[in-house]
Amino acid sequence: MINLRNVRKFYGALEVIKGVDITVEDGEFAVFVGPSGCGKSTLLRMIAGLEGIDDGDLILNGKRINDVPPDKRGIAMVFQSYALYPHMSVAENIGFSLSLKKVPEAEIRRQVEGVAEILQLTDYLDRRPAALSGGQRQRVAIGRAIIKKPALILFDEPLSNLDSALRVQMRAELQRLHRELKATVVYVTHDQVEAMTMADRIVVLNKGVVAQEGAPMSLYYQPDNEFVATFIGSPKMNVIPVAVTRPAAGKVHLHSPIGLSLDLPDANGAVQQGEAKLGIRPEHLKIAAEGQDHFTAEVVIVERLGVETYMTVGSQQEPIVVRAEGDIAVRPGDRVSLTADPAACHLFDSAGRVIRSATA
Amino acid sequence: MAVVSPSETANKGRSDLIAYAILSLISIFCAIPFFWVLIASFDGNAQLFLRWPEQWTFANYVRVFVKEDGAKWLFNSLFVVGSATLLVMVLAGLGGYALSRTRAWWKLPFLYAILLIRVLPPTALIVPLYKFLLTLNNAEAAMLRPIFGSYTRDIMRWTGFIDGYLGLILVLATMQLPLALWIMKTFFDGLPKDYEEAALMDGATLIQRIRRVLIPLALPGLAAAGLFAFMSAWGDFLLPLILLSSPELQTLPLGLFRAFLRINEIDYGLLTALAFIYLLPAVVAFGFARRFLVQTFSGGVKG
Amino acid sequence: MARNSHEKRAERQWLLILLPSLVLLLAFVIYPAIYSIYLSFTNEALTGAAALRPRFVGFKNYTRLFNDAKFWNTLVVTFIFVIGSAVIGQFVLGLISAIALRRPIRFRRVFSSIILLPNAAPEVVAGFMWISMLAGGDNATLSRIVSFFGLTPADWLQVFPLSMIIIVNTWRGIATAMILLTAGLSTIPTEIYEAARMDGATPPQMFRRITLPLMMPTILLYMLISAVSTIAVFGLVYALTRGGPGGATELISIYIYNQSFTAYQLGYGAAVAVVALLISLILGIAYVRAMKVEV
Repeated sequence: MINLRNVRKFYGALEVIKGVDITVEDGEFAVFVGPSGCGKSTLLRMIAGLEGIDDGDLILNGKRINDVPPDKRGIAMVFQSYALYPHMSVAENIGFSLSLKKVPEAEIRRQVEGVAEILQLTDYLDRRPAALSGGQRQRVAIGRAIIKKPALILFDEPLSNLDSALRVQMRAELQRLHRELKATVVYVTHDQVEAMTMADRIVVLNKGVVAQEGAPMSLYYQPDNEFVATFIGSPKMNVIPVAVTRPAAGKVHLHSPIGLSLDLPDANGAVQQGEAKLGIRPEHLKIAAEGQDHFTAEVVIVERLGVETYMTVGSQQEPIVVRAEGDIAVRPGDRVSLTADPAACHLFDSAGRVIRSATA
Repeated sequence: MAVVSPSETANKGRSDLIAYAILSLISIFCAIPFFWVLIASFDGNAQLFLRWPEQWTFANYVRVFVKEDGAKWLFNSLFVVGSATLLVMVLAGLGGYALSRTRAWWKLPFLYAILLIRVLPPTALIVPLYKFLLTLNNAEAAMLRPIFGSYTRDIMRWTGFIDGYLGLILVLATMQLPLALWIMKTFFDGLPKDYEEAALMDGATLIQRIRRVLIPLALPGLAAAGLFAFMSAWGDFLLPLILLSSPELQTLPLGLFRAFLRINEIDYGLLTALAFIYLLPAVVAFGFARRFLVQTFSGGVKG
Repeated sequence: MARNSHEKRAERQWLLILLPSLVLLLAFVIYPAIYSIYLSFTNEALTGAAALRPRFVGFKNYTRLFNDAKFWNTLVVTFIFVIGSAVIGQFVLGLISAIALRRPIRFRRVFSSIILLPNAAPEVVAGFMWISMLAGGDNATLSRIVSFFGLTPADWLQVFPLSMIIIVNTWRGIATAMILLTAGLSTIPTEIYEAARMDGATPPQMFRRITLPLMMPTILLYMLISAVSTIAVFGLVYALTRGGPGGATELISIYIYNQSFTAYQLGYGAAVAVVALLISLILGIAYVRAMKVEV
């Protein structure tokens, strides 16, 4: 189990990691995700020992390892560019860490072959990295990591160098490996799709702080703040400014200038009156049927994909994206009637904190 | 090498200290020889060995220009090397462009030839070069004498091959051509053809394309090639030694060398002042050429 | 290959542009080189009987060469000179400088400027600077430095001539080594060092097993370039020692000069020159091969 407790890092006077608390349990596949500059790679390198920790504790299996050198932490890392040694063969690359410790040749050979077997690299053991494909190189990098029998494996955006078809394949491959090796993994990416599909636990980072952590679906359905709500899920959640009034006890009324108006239940009166932001995902906005509460808007852009249709409605300044099942034959300029399911609505205050999550 | 965890900061600090120490030692080794030239040139009573002057003076520099032919030497050097550099820049600028864009059969042999020429030691070539230039010189004199009679001597000072500006300039330029051509060719290789093709589509002739598109784009490469050619030709002392004899044409390195060969008391103040004057343009050119150094040689490493 | 008339015209234009350069190179480099070869088969001289009527003597110059102890001496001296200054001196100091300068220390520009400076100084000036350092007995700068450390100075250029010129040429050439090696070092991605760090490599292990092997192409390239340019060194050494004392520092370039312009034996000098040319060409061809010239 790995713990980060109130970890901070400064570059000169600039604080880049501002007090981060994260826990990853044994055997978990944890994904650190966030936009560029959020600090995810820095955190990863701090865990690896390639960057220093200025304040706070890094604890691995009960031991504080802030001051332990990188190679003695029991942690292995797969670099973004794989960082394979170009002048060594696959076998030599994988066995490098053992040869540094003067392990006997025969033993190195045995372990390398074992690792190669798991990764299906046995036929490539004598090749140089230049003669390998992207996917194969990545497996060699993984092999170099797992031969050390680490307590934790770190991945630094490993799929960003691959083309999209290969990426899908490697995602499945990595998950398979994770299950087979029963390893604990910390995986860094900027791609929320990778995070959602692969993670047991997602840690969303923003500007050096943890915006939220949890299982993928709980982040999807119960985002704690506007940042996580709009970061997770593609296309992004719509965020509409609304005015909140309380017409009666137990419920609130939201009204937006674009015409959207709906009531939300508010049993415990947590919602304040005044300005707020309504968050609703494109797939939770539907074409209104007869008699339903609805608002109308003008269609600006239509993207018909056959299996689904994306409509951008409203104005250029405040677009709202709607996702409908199947093919809807609308054209730009048409007016549509839309309805929102109150159960799928999120409410955020002006600072972006959630007031009310959906209860779906 | 990457930064490591705080416990290893001490280690990193120590490695940095070692780097400082090593670099300082090497720098001192490199710098020491320059001190004498610098200091003794201002010394009223300069000696061969390094010493702190009892009196600081500019007299040595004055003597260089007044008592000796410093001005003439300086002029000759600047004129000869400057002209050679210009010639090299023009020929290599155009030639490098041609080499880069051509796909003819002679491209590869030409490039190999250039590389191989660069490995020939100059001392191996000077004797036949001298004989050849002597022949050319005599032929030229024979042609000019009927026309110019007694003025031939003076004209030959400028147009002659032996003991004449023309010969020295041409030979100096030729020696710098291989490297300059190579630099310009590599430079143009890295320049996308888009600009020329756009100009071609606009109907520009070759000359127009060269003048209005290529030259502005080629300036960094030309600057690099020019600076390297200048520094190399400025330091060339063998060619002037062999090719020049009359006092009016002597260049700085020769003046310096001869000053050292005086039979009577060697005037070290004069010598070092002269050396400093000779040193200065090279160092200035080097200062400008610095930023081109890495690019040029990185290109060489990658082939 | 050029096909249509437009392309053919373009190709002719390129040739035309290169013509002046070609003429110059042919006239002043290639022709002398070939003429040198011819000269080496004659007994041409500027004094003596042969001066009036030089004639073809076949391989006589070459046989004389191979029996000439001074010639073999030159080869040995040149060889030691190249190994000492180019292969060892400049390389080691250049490599150390290149590595040290990669660290994030202050004054990097100052250090690198100073280290590159000796290369910028013209040969003759460099020669004089070192005469001041080495000649003059007890007052020479080197003598004073050495006395400072309690050792006895010597008349350096007389007692250790070869070692001295090796030191001087090393001083002059650190720059080239440093530049080339820096370029080579920069082709190694830092991530590889980080991966090695994670694998548990110590700095010496990283140097031996990663830096050196990956630098091999650059190192070889440097060796060839520096060997070739060191063979050509003339002015620097001539200014310091004229090739003496007693031939102790008579490099092949100086031997050629002495034979041609002091002894006036042009034919013989040319023969030595041809040998030097051949050696350089062999190295040059190896260099061209090794570089896998891209055209």
